[in-house]
Amino acid sequence: MSDFLIETRQLTKNYGDQTVVDSVNLHVKKGRIYGLLGRNGAGKTTIMKMILGLTPITSGEVKVFGRNIKGREKKVYPRIGAIIETPGFYPNLTGSENLEIFAKLRGTAAPNAVKRAMDVVGLPYKDKKLFGKYSMGMKQRLGIANAILHDPELLILDEPTNGLDPIGIAEVRNFILDLSKQEGKTILISSHILSEIALLADDIGIIDHGVLLEESSMRELEKKNSRYILLQVSDIPKASLILERQFHTQDYSVSDNHTLRIYDTSLNMAAVNKALMMEDVAVISSQLCNDTLEDYFKKITGGEGIA
Amino acid sequence: MDINGYLMFGCIFFFFVILYLIIKLCRVREQLSLIREALEDIKAGNLNRRVLTRESDMTKQICYGINEIAVGSQSLLIQQRQSEQAYKRLMTSLSHDVKTPLASLVGYLEAVEGKLVTGEEAEEYIHVASEKAYRLKEFVTSLFEWVKLDAGEQVYHFEVYDLNELSRNIMAEWIPVLESAGLDYEIDIPETEDTVRVDPNAYTRILNNLFQNILVHSEADHVTLHIAGEEQQIGITVTDNGKGISKENLPHIFDRLYQCDHSRSMQGNGLGLSIAKELVNAHGGTITASSTPGAGTTFTILLPKVL
Repeated sequence: MSDFLIETRQLTKNYGDQTVVDSVNLHVKKGRIYGLLGRNGAGKTTIMKMILGLTPITSGEVKVFGRNIKGREKKVYPRIGAIIETPGFYPNLTGSENLEIFAKLRGTAAPNAVKRAMDVVGLPYKDKKLFGKYSMGMKQRLGIANAILHDPELLILDEPTNGLDPIGIAEVRNFILDLSKQEGKTILISSHILSEIALLADDIGIIDHGVLLEESSMRELEKKNSRYILLQVSDIPKASLILERQFHTQDYSVSDNHTLRIYDTSLNMAAVNKALMMEDVAVISSQLCNDTLEDYFKKITGGEGIA
Repeated sequence: MDINGYLMFGCIFFFFVILYLIIKLCRVREQLSLIREALEDIKAGNLNRRVLTRESDMTKQICYGINEIAVGSQSLLIQQRQSEQAYKRLMTSLSHDVKTPLASLVGYLEAVEGKLVTGEEAEEYIHVASEKAYRLKEFVTSLFEWVKLDAGEQVYHFEVYDLNELSRNIMAEWIPVLESAGLDYEIDIPETEDTVRVDPNAYTRILNNLFQNILVHSEADHVTLHIAGEEQQIGITVTDNGKGISKENLPHIFDRLYQCDHSRSMQGNGLGLSIAKELVNAHGGTITASSTPGAGTTFTILLPKVL
């Protein structure tokens, strides 16, 4: 089996003569959280729907668990848990009763599946409150509980934090992280909020007007998000002495025999360079890395930015 | 009704019984093929695979059993992977925690040796250099201690001691340190005897690490040590009035290499509290922390008494 749990090739969706998803090649790696980032209407939900077979594919193909899903839907879908927009629950039943129905329909992987799923999302089990009386946040939580009810290998979550208050967002974020880090689930999640994705995802795909502009690991992106002065000098001990004595900073780290990073970006680079030269330390290169993720996204989305 | 009528009725009855059994058989066969497929997948290493089963299935218990084994192996595997990652982080932090102070240490010494500084300034340089050397030594010591604990190679010499007497001796060493750091202290150790099976070196290390932690991280100006014997156990509480630990950080402070402030200041190495926890565990005790950000932190150690 390949390392990709979801792989799409030239995935395209047209509504009439309008192209909402344009030749998208998505690669979701096993055991990781993949964040699909894009503004409202960028095509995130349509991609997820096509992966789940909820809407027909115009052209291209979707591979899930390493194989094309066409004709294998019945075998594949029980291994996926999903929440796409507002899930359909019966308003005149309680949360637990709703989940019991889904558990009966789909089957479960362990006894007490309903209770466990509700515990994970922090909803009371066997509560008397009817779904119709649920708040937006509780509905969203029940939706996630439904997605994890059968302990699936792959979760597809479309904007799971929509409609939640800040504390709720942090809670949902934490248990999504737990599902990935403690249980090894693979998760595809979409959001239009950059900071949210930055906190969650291992890999990130940026989508704008139906086109996947960039796909990269968060670690790669974070390198673009760092603020430090990178110095290459001939004599590290001497350079560090100068930094400590003349510039009174200890906020630096030595990477190898000739490279150090100064994290205190308030230092005047010209002054540092000059001081080093004066003391006979040759400066091979010095470079200020001062980019934020936000700047970067503005750059790749053509100045419009995300969120 | 004649014989034919009964025969007819019997035939229909048997027909339905056979139909029911055939349906049941088909369902079990279907289940078995699902189970076989899932087992192949699990055997190939996909420990996230689950077999779904319904309440009425004959194979329910088998499916639950298979899932349980997969879940168990998966969590073991993840634990292993996490400890591997911790080692990797250890190596990365080693390269910073050792290389950087070492480089500047060499810088200071070279300046003195090359007569770049003389007189009082030279003496100050030597003072700074020796401080850095001591800090390095401390770091390397705790690193080895931690590795030894982690590998389970630590040898303890447990004996029955009066914990109060032992604690008084340890605090006698700490009083001048606290005074020179400008910390008020309040030490409340009962005059009576409370006997505990401890390794005195390990117990000293536990208290030292707690106080060291307060000294380096808390920004407190008052610290309390309070010991109270109960029926079964002795409670040792260390309280400071410093900046406290936030709710997000609190659950992780005993994790190895966890540091609340991610700045690269030279102090602290993220090992002290995790060593303390390992040592307390070895004594059959517990260590917990509670904190109010802005108001201070309380560490509570409970050790079982010798009755």
